[in-house]
Amino acid sequence: MKIQGWMFLLCGVFFAAADVVYWFWSKEPTGTTAMAISVGLALMIGYYLLFTARRIGDQPEDNKEAEISDGAGEIGFYSPHSWWPLFVCLSAALTFFGFAVGMWLFFVGVFCTLMSMIGFVFQYYRGNFSH
Amino acid sequence: MLGVATASAITTTTRPHGSSRPNLVQVGTIVWLSSELMFFAALFAMYFTIRSVSLGQGTHWPEAHLEVPFATFNTTVLVLSSVTCQLGVWAVERGQVKKLRFWYVVSFLMGAFFVGGQLYEYGNLAREGHVLSHTPYDSVFFLTTGFHGLHVTGGLIAFLFILGRTYAAKRLTYEQQTSAIVVSYYWHFVDVVWIGLFATIYIIK
Repeated sequence: MKIQGWMFLLCGVFFAAADVVYWFWSKEPTGTTAMAISVGLALMIGYYLLFTARRIGDQPEDNKEAEISDGAGEIGFYSPHSWWPLFVCLSAALTFFGFAVGMWLFFVGVFCTLMSMIGFVFQYYRGNFSH
Repeated sequence: MLGVATASAITTTTRPHGSSRPNLVQVGTIVWLSSELMFFAALFAMYFTIRSVSLGQGTHWPEAHLEVPFATFNTTVLVLSSVTCQLGVWAVERGQVKKLRFWYVVSFLMGAFFVGGQLYEYGNLAREGHVLSHTPYDSVFFLTTGFHGLHVTGGLIAFLFILGRTYAAKRLTYEQQTSAIVVSYYWHFVDVVWIGLFATIYIIK
């Protein structure tokens, strides 16, 4: 993970240099602000990857002699199937539709969004798959 | 190798991989937060564009009377809620679910206090005639602080979900630890964005 971290840090350095040039060339605050925050975008990911790399040690991708199979194994928990994201999106769409139709529909949408989010967050906490 | 197809039971209770692998939920949250940062970059860019245009037209900036001491106090509460949130994370990393609940409830209350303070300030401004469509200054003020307030509200809902998860399962799981930690990432992020917004709107003006 070290290489990925450094790639993002270098992007941050590039954005910072470009930002300084941009400021002295244009004296314009809007783009300078936006680009300064892009530095934050790159440094945040880069710092986090390097921080994680230091904590978890070398990964297969850091080792030039590594085999593909060294990266095998479980990556994490992924939901095999779930209807909840669909309901969350439909509720969100209903909420924003409410802005066009009327505030009553907006509040109906907010209620549906909260209920479907509860379903999404707790889908593995009840029923067959609860733990 | 067995010559038959095997399927493992769905389980979210065990550590999905050894500690030698990065936690993908945490890495993904950081990448998502960096895109959130660009969302706020657009709001900052909007603020500075309209500020420079208004100043160029000779308009007074800021046009509304801001209560800086009150906002400073509110900001302090939000910054301290990041500290209590981190105390909760250190507790959950040691597996202390009761301490996690305590610190997350404290952080929730402090966050709710902040949102309440924002609404109080909005009410005062509205009484003086400052609403979203009143002047360009009011538009950028309510859009920047309003979108931040919505993010804080989302964080409050996330705190409730984490608390709900610790009560819904029989014991503290790796999944719950992960979700508690990524919610803390989000909370710290929203806090840092507010420091930037506060400095821009209330201090630099």
